[in-house]
Amino acid sequence: METDLYTVGIDVGSSATKGALLLNRRVLSTFVLSTGTDLGSAAEKCLSRLLNTCGLTKKDISYIVSTGYGRTQVEASDRTITEITCHGRGAKALVPKAGLVIDIGGQDSKVICLDRNGMVEDFVMNDKCAAGTGRFLEVMAGRLGISLFDFGRMWRTAKKSTHISSTCTVFAESEVISLLSKGVPPNIIIRGLCDAIADRLLGMVYRVGLKPGIVMTGGVSKNEGVRLSLEGKIPYKIIVPDASQFAGAYGAALIGRDLLKQI
Amino acid sequence: MLPDAMTESLNRRLAGESRRIKLLRTLLRKGWVHSGAKLAIDYLEKRDWKPYQINAIRCIANDFRNAYLGKKPSIFTSAFVPNELVYGLGAVPFLPEAAAGFAASYKLAGESLAAGESLWYSPDLCSFHRAGVGASVINLTPEPAAVIVSSQLCDGGKQALFQISRYHNCPFHVLDVPYGQSEQSLKYLSKQLEIVVKDLKREVPDLSEEYMDEALANSNAALSYYRELCELRKNTPSPWRGSEALNYVVLFLWSWGSPWLPKFYKSLRDYAENIISTGNYPIPNEQFRLAWLNLRPYYSTKLFDYLENEAQISVAFEEFSYLHWDVLDPQDPYTSLANKIMSNFGWGPARRRLKVISKIVQEFSIDGVVQFAQWGCRQHNGASYVLSDYLKKEGIPFLNLDGDGVDIKNSGEAQSLTRLGAFRELLEARKIKNLR
Repeated sequence: METDLYTVGIDVGSSATKGALLLNRRVLSTFVLSTGTDLGSAAEKCLSRLLNTCGLTKKDISYIVSTGYGRTQVEASDRTITEITCHGRGAKALVPKAGLVIDIGGQDSKVICLDRNGMVEDFVMNDKCAAGTGRFLEVMAGRLGISLFDFGRMWRTAKKSTHISSTCTVFAESEVISLLSKGVPPNIIIRGLCDAIADRLLGMVYRVGLKPGIVMTGGVSKNEGVRLSLEGKIPYKIIVPDASQFAGAYGAALIGRDLLKQI
Repeated sequence: MLPDAMTESLNRRLAGESRRIKLLRTLLRKGWVHSGAKLAIDYLEKRDWKPYQINAIRCIANDFRNAYLGKKPSIFTSAFVPNELVYGLGAVPFLPEAAAGFAASYKLAGESLAAGESLWYSPDLCSFHRAGVGASVINLTPEPAAVIVSSQLCDGGKQALFQISRYHNCPFHVLDVPYGQSEQSLKYLSKQLEIVVKDLKREVPDLSEEYMDEALANSNAALSYYRELCELRKNTPSPWRGSEALNYVVLFLWSWGSPWLPKFYKSLRDYAENIISTGNYPIPNEQFRLAWLNLRPYYSTKLFDYLENEAQISVAFEEFSYLHWDVLDPQDPYTSLANKIMSNFGWGPARRRLKVISKIVQEFSIDGVVQFAQWGCRQHNGASYVLSDYLKKEGIPFLNLDGDGVDIKNSGEAQSLTRLGAFRELLEARKIKNLR
């Protein structure tokens, strides 16, 4: 009989810090908070909250894996693993038929190709530009005075799209201002913005190879507009699991369990 | 003569330049500085510096002294011109592209890039050329007596070096390298080399072919040691750090024909031999071996610290260190040098390059290939898909690592570290899978 093992995955992203606490492979608790400026402190808060929710202490946790942009800032971490491997593992666990993972976070986007066992076969990341990331959408939402959560609803009401530069967040913002001044309705602009992100992602998807079982993870997966735009350009449906934002943290905790069993 | 707009732009640039640039420009042209450098190298030799490091510094310092002090004519060449030709004429070569790498190492790239950009070179152009042309117009480089470029591999290089010849008002020669391989193309290129030499002797005082035999003999002697070194580098674990090897690519591009190059490669061969016999490897617990394509960042970066020290991954061999030519024939120098140019696998159809990469992978027991996708590098980045597709079919993991060798503004270190980290995890997962 297997011993019960508690493992934790902490995904310190540029916008949000996500955590998942597992008992064996079962998720007991998840938590998300804004990363802010102190990455280590955000990770610490996240861990405390996970432990408090389950009435556990650090001593009860067998292994902690940190991932994400701030992965090296997590003091309690036993091991750091990149978000590419963690998102791949998490997505496969959430959606067993996952073959391709599109993870769009606050400051970067990644397309990860998985083999049949969920191992990372290949991956690509966006270049050093913020266009096509969560930050791009945040800036645009701010300019339009619309909540990010409304993007999907407004996308659906737009009967057509408009072209927006997908190369630069700053240029795209100027374009949005210009379109607004010309009286273009916000829902059409939103559809154009989502299309611009989808165009950027499309190149990355084709670079690793389009295949079925596409799963979207990361904060932007909660933005229905981006998913709809991308689905309009590929012949497959995109699966967004309920816990898509926690895929990295979940994957990290699962990897923690595997590593523990290897020791 | 320079167009007015350009002179104006340059004057503006020069007027605003920093004190350290002014000081450096002056110091580089002082005899006592070069004598001091000589003494400093002697001092380093007595300290813990390795013989090959000392020989490498002497190799470049010797050319710098001759060029900056005007002891010998300085001929600027692009990266793939065979410099045996320059040494063979009694001149010294100077590679602005390599100088850009030096500028990046010594934190001078910012000024050089800005000077290049002030002449309308777009930041989209390869930074090795932007900084090279910039360093030349702010007179950080020596005064060229002539410029020779080859049409392979980089088009930007030809254009940038033409600008240098225009600024310094010196002769400019292009070696038009045929794309295809044939007897006819070889004759065509060999004839051009002969004509360039004839023209240079007429245009630049004090040039003579009397040193050609010596330059070719130096090149052949270096070649023999270099071959032995390459054999030693096939050893697992690797006897030499790839991060360092990528720094010494500069000598591979610059110094063929120099009397110092055989000394450098001999001492490096001895070093590698000693490492293997004593088992004192720089990365003793080598986990994976990488082949590195294109160059590396020459400014301070954590990438190699991560690879070599944290992940215990070796860069076992580099594309730009691959020996692609044979012994040169002193009886027929122009055909030999034409052969050397045409054997460059980076020129011609992509399959030539793929064949060499495949050989590197097999001969050096490579686990994965990393291409440093230099910003603005058309000839390498243009073939990325072909390369990636080929390696995928061969089952060799491949990482295309975006970055910039000179311009730090074009690099995101955290992102690069994440990519390298994920690549390492991919290699580890494959290893576990293969063990099962």
